[in-house]
Amino acid sequence: MYTLINKIIEGLLVAIFGLLVIDVVWQVISRYIVGQSSSFTEEFARFSLIWLTVLGAAYINGQQEGHLAMDFLLSKLPEAKRKGRQKVIQISMALFALVVMVIGGGNLVYTTLRLGQTSSALHLPLGYVYAIVPLSGLIIIFFSWYNIKKLNK
Amino acid sequence: LESNTKVMYFAHSLPITHPVHRAILDMKESLVQKSDGQLQIKVFPDGQLGTEREVLELLQIGSISMTKVSAASLSNFAPDYQVTSIPYLFRDREHLFKVLEGEIGKELLLSSTEYLLRGLCFYDAGARSFYAKKNQIGSPEDLNGMKIRTMNDQMSVDMVNTLGGSATPMAYGELYTALQQNVVDGAENNIPSFVTSNHYEVCKYYTFDEHTMVPDVVVIGTRFWDTLNENEKIWLQEAADESVVKQKQYWEETVAENMKVLKQAQVQFLYPDKSEFSKMTTPLLERMMRDEKMKTVIEKIRSE
Amino acid sequence: MSIELISVLVLFISFAVLLLYGVPVAYSIGISTTLVLVINMAFMPSVTTVGQRMTTGIDNFALLAIPFFILAGELMNRGGVANRLIAFAKSLIGSLPGGLAYVNIISAMLFGAISGSAIAAASAIGSTLTDKMEKEGYPRQFSAAVNISSSTTGLLIPPSNVLIIFALASGGTASVAALFVAGYLPGILVGLVLMLMVYIYAKRKKLPRADRVGFRQLLIHFKDAFLSLTLLIIVVGGIVAGIFTATEAAAIAVIYATFLGFLNKELHLADLRGILLKSAKTTAIVMFLIATSMAMSWVFSFEGIPQMLTGLMVDSVSNPILVFLLINLILLIVGTFMDMTPAVLIFTPIFLPVAMALGMHSVQFGMVIVLNLCIGVCTPPVGTLLFVGSGVAQVSVGKVIKPLLPLLMAMVFVLFLITYFPEISLWLPKLFGLID
Ligand code: NA
Ligand code: NA
Repeated sequence: MYTLINKIIEGLLVAIFGLLVIDVVWQVISRYIVGQSSSFTEEFARFSLIWLTVLGAAYINGQQEGHLAMDFLLSKLPEAKRKGRQKVIQISMALFALVVMVIGGGNLVYTTLRLGQTSSALHLPLGYVYAIVPLSGLIIIFFSWYNIKKLNK
Repeated sequence: LESNTKVMYFAHSLPITHPVHRAILDMKESLVQKSDGQLQIKVFPDGQLGTEREVLELLQIGSISMTKVSAASLSNFAPDYQVTSIPYLFRDREHLFKVLEGEIGKELLLSSTEYLLRGLCFYDAGARSFYAKKNQIGSPEDLNGMKIRTMNDQMSVDMVNTLGGSATPMAYGELYTALQQNVVDGAENNIPSFVTSNHYEVCKYYTFDEHTMVPDVVVIGTRFWDTLNENEKIWLQEAADESVVKQKQYWEETVAENMKVLKQAQVQFLYPDKSEFSKMTTPLLERMMRDEKMKTVIEKIRSE
Repeated sequence: MSIELISVLVLFISFAVLLLYGVPVAYSIGISTTLVLVINMAFMPSVTTVGQRMTTGIDNFALLAIPFFILAGELMNRGGVANRLIAFAKSLIGSLPGGLAYVNIISAMLFGAISGSAIAAASAIGSTLTDKMEKEGYPRQFSAAVNISSSTTGLLIPPSNVLIIFALASGGTASVAALFVAGYLPGILVGLVLMLMVYIYAKRKKLPRADRVGFRQLLIHFKDAFLSLTLLIIVVGGIVAGIFTATEAAAIAVIYATFLGFLNKELHLADLRGILLKSAKTTAIVMFLIATSMAMSWVFSFEGIPQMLTGLMVDSVSNPILVFLLINLILLIVGTFMDMTPAVLIFTPIFLPVAMALGMHSVQFGMVIVLNLCIGVCTPPVGTLLFVGSGVAQVSVGKVIKPLLPLLMAMVFVLFLITYFPEISLWLPKLFGLID
């Protein structure tokens, strides 16, 4: 399960990043060669960056080398105490993911979809863009659970 | 503060020197008087709490209560407002406000309540016209091949492209540098924005083609509106309506002052034959008329 | 106690506690932000607002330059660009006493000037030069100290991701183009002062000079490095000449770095997936931090904290010289325990209005805060660059501190020059007409 989720996210991240580069390079080329810049390359790029960031952040939660932290105090603690703290840290990240990303982000998706707000250039429902937030929240919770299980071993 | 005091968070994206901000402060004052201090407004200018789109979303979410946005921004939430962005639909300022302050305007303001956004009143945002760094735009032909910054919405992009220019949507904050560095050759906006943005330092030609007259709208989130009692609703609506009169007056004063600044800075003004521009943009109007509901509204506006 | 004061206390205390406990910075910021909003309004609007601010905070075309410069730096790192720059720098100034230390500084400046990342510069150059410097008589910890401090110049010399982040945090009062052009003089000044320090050290220790390189050899190395150096002109020249925006320039840098890597035959098609993934990870870490910081800075505005602080500081200490000194001291302390990106994002909205109210230009303030925090990334306990630089030199962090200290003092000296002489930061952007 852990490996499968990682594989899927890795594939998505590489694809989004690759498309981002192509998209912005195309924007420059089209302005100079075709003479017109389209408003949807910019919007596509901005939305891709949101997906890359939020999904990527969830992915980092499952990695050994995680998010930036002040862990210099942590490394000085004896092993049992350190593991205890690490579990609390995992739980607080999962709580943030649950409250802000799953509940708050979920409500954001629900609100924007129900009220039908669309983006100005691509006419994409904004809810689809925001959908990555609750989705990544769930992934973070999964990784926290996985990491705690590993700490218990 | 007493416990029955209600505080409204009012966010907008304009500087405190702008006529809109002054009108909002008037609204705030008059509301305090009417409600005997029960209704308070806390104003956040300068886009401190987000762009127009983001703040409208916060109104829907319920963390911010009021805002002032362009009707163009509102049309991404409530499509009926699109009608205000059609080039040359309004003959002049008088026609515009006759429509906005009549039956059509009232319907428009209420059209967004199903999206949790209730319009309170319309503010004058003047007419948008082209300005350029090097080119004197005297007719649509002069726009040929010119890169013109537009707002990031389909109507603005299509309008510039239909007139023969090359629309370059871009964030407003990046525009000054973009003009300076020739990333774009020109842009379009009303006189007060042309001055407050300092774009006149770079662009020395302003053409009064007055392609659109998109008004500003004062909006309250229905999540907050519904917490007000009948009296409070009446006070707020009255305060808003009173501020409209003031806002129009401030706007005219500002434009007059701005014109002095522009003349001093040796900006040249061009007054072209607007019908040439208007004729070229008819395809946009026709496209909007394909929608039956929109067609009825447009015909009603034209007959006013 | 007013709700505003309670909010401020909750915000800063909970943030400090979470941070010290070891909760990742991005999450600490997000959790404190949420706590404050929940005090101020109902649960559902607060948590939804935090989610919205995080997302809209990164919904910004200008920020796209960050992933692109990260990717370009990674591509250059793998594509053999660093080695060519080092060879060129060596043939240029290697014959001075203690030549390789200068080579290190110049290479770091050049690599930083094209990649936008100090970490990339420190790891690419440190791993190549430390052994060679040891043979020339430099203790490994001294080489590491030189490498670490000189790599910060890449954060001032454009392109620079942290300057893009500053432009964002300044709320549009400073443009990326103006900041990029402004960064040259402070960045070069730091490089020169560090070279002076090395000169004093080399004289005292009587370090040998390398053989003089012939003009023909210099030409050969220049030819090898030429294509890499061209990137410098394409990126910054393109932005200043208005051919493209900073974001587009960054995308061009990606394409160009890929092309160089293939040309140098050190990059292969099969490497691209791994490089994209690695860059995506770095991007996610930086951008997620930006996302939660943007939510926090929204709460700052909502509570009126910057205005409150500006009033307080401007009223109580009206002397600009003292206020600037105070801001610098606070930032130097902040920099010891906080990484650059969050520090820029959190303290710009607080201190920039104060500095501007006292007549400092936003572009100059950008130089001050970035150079100040450049010193911070070299100091324990949180010093990303210190750890990377010690790591590649294979010496313990503790040993590096002693030779690093005088170099950092030299940087503090430059910091005060930049704080009190605005022209160092503003002369170039004025010359190019990027600011009034
Ligand atoms: Na750089
Ligand atoms: Na530090």
